[in-house]
Amino acid sequence: MTPIDYLQFVLAPQVVNGLALGVAVVLVALGLTIIFGMLDVINMSHGEFYAIGAYAALALAAAGIGFWFLLVLVPILMIPLGMAAERLLIRPVFGSKDRHVTTLLVTFGLGLIVEDVLKIIFGANTQRPPTPISGASEIFGIILPNYRLFLILVGAAIVLAVAYVVYRTRLGAMVRAAAFDRNMAASLGVPVSLVYAGTFAFGVGLAGLAGVLLAPIYSVFPTMGRDFILLAFTVVIVGGMGSIWGAVVAGLLLTQVQALASLVISPVWTDPIVFGTMVAFLVFRPQGLFGRLGHA
Amino acid sequence: MLQISALHSHYGLSHVIQGIDIEAAPGEVIGIFGRNGVGKTTLLKTIAGWVKPSQGAIRLGGAALDGLTPDRICHAGVGFVPEDRRIFPGLTVEENLSLGLLQVKGRSSRDEKRAVEGIYDRFHKLGERRHQLGTTLSGGEQQMLAMARVMVGKPRLVLIDEPSEGLAPMIVAEIFAIVRELREQGAIILLVEQNIHEALSVADRFHVVERGQIVFSGEAENAGDRERLLKLIAV
Repeated sequence: MTPIDYLQFVLAPQVVNGLALGVAVVLVALGLTIIFGMLDVINMSHGEFYAIGAYAALALAAAGIGFWFLLVLVPILMIPLGMAAERLLIRPVFGSKDRHVTTLLVTFGLGLIVEDVLKIIFGANTQRPPTPISGASEIFGIILPNYRLFLILVGAAIVLAVAYVVYRTRLGAMVRAAAFDRNMAASLGVPVSLVYAGTFAFGVGLAGLAGVLLAPIYSVFPTMGRDFILLAFTVVIVGGMGSIWGAVVAGLLLTQVQALASLVISPVWTDPIVFGTMVAFLVFRPQGLFGRLGHA
Repeated sequence: MLQISALHSHYGLSHVIQGIDIEAAPGEVIGIFGRNGVGKTTLLKTIAGWVKPSQGAIRLGGAALDGLTPDRICHAGVGFVPEDRRIFPGLTVEENLSLGLLQVKGRSSRDEKRAVEGIYDRFHKLGERRHQLGTTLSGGEQQMLAMARVMVGKPRLVLIDEPSEGLAPMIVAEIFAIVRELREQGAIILLVEQNIHEALSVADRFHVVERGQIVFSGEAENAGDRERLLKLIAV
């Protein structure tokens, strides 16, 4: 195989696959990092909200609702769910001294419940919704599935839209201010409780949207959240807990490392490399690549 | 009218504010003096809702503030400039000011823009640095931003904690000029300040706090009261 052939048929497809996976991970990590940055809550049920989004899409598609409408409908339906979870489970323990541990355990418990409920309602079998965009395109001699290209473009658009809201609007300034100093923000009139609930719900909505987008590629099954959530947590830690750009950079970098490393070493070593990176960051650079939401 | 009566508050088991009564009319500046750790800052934090009062009442214009959340207290017309300024890192000068606009509900975007432009006309340096991160400003400029952030909401009661701390004399004079402006606009001002000389130049009355209680109250213009004040707070 010539170097050009290697580049065209081995390296480039691997990079694009890594990019598609990276976008998928960033989509899941985005909600997670916003919730952490804002509320200081490690939402262990985030993966299950992602699964709920995927199952909701599956059920609504079976009822005849088209994929394009689902992209809007499912996140909207997820928002009251997120609001309810924040109000009923997070807020009552938010003021406790052991908030970090308590919210972590509460959301972990919620995740287990959701997983079982999904099993009861939909069964344990894997289901695969039809791919809404079929076919493949040839770009510079590389064959790429159209849906993966669509995912990359839509993922980039979502990240830019979220970053715009968080960093360029007054709503975003309220979120960042409340993330840094809730008392001062409240003393300027920011409705902190509403902002917290809204941010949690927004994060849950993003998880739901990720579920709709990723279901055609990664299939739908009750434990689907677990697969992504570990990588998403790694991305959040390496990127900087609460940093949107950190999640993007870390998500794309780590998935490229995963994709390219499997070309030169056994794929079983890619996960230890990725999670080892997370451990190294926790020990040597706990603030991650970027700072936290609301911090300079 | 501000009416604080029999106010108590705790930090955990520590009984910090132990029955404070203060009354103030619109346009009055009340100095709150005392040594470190006597409860002056806690008093302001209790009024602002950062610390929940355990007993007593706080009323502004007849409306009860005690027990409300800080955002509701803010919407009732209370502005707070805390000791360490609390400028939000990661937010520009303009974004910090835009949050100050939230103090007033239902203002049109044109009115909001006018209010911010008014602040930039008053504080030229803030205008010049509107796109700069608030925390990259000098200490004096940060203090001005903290005060401007509250001024933009035109509060009826302004709580100001140690505004001159760590600032050069020229900046301190500017800060106290802002306090006078707020007073002229009809705001009630509770001013906690270690720089007694400057504070008395702007205050109408003052209270001396010791161990969470007011131990002496006086008129800023009264030479006898001033003398007594200096004796009480002399270390």
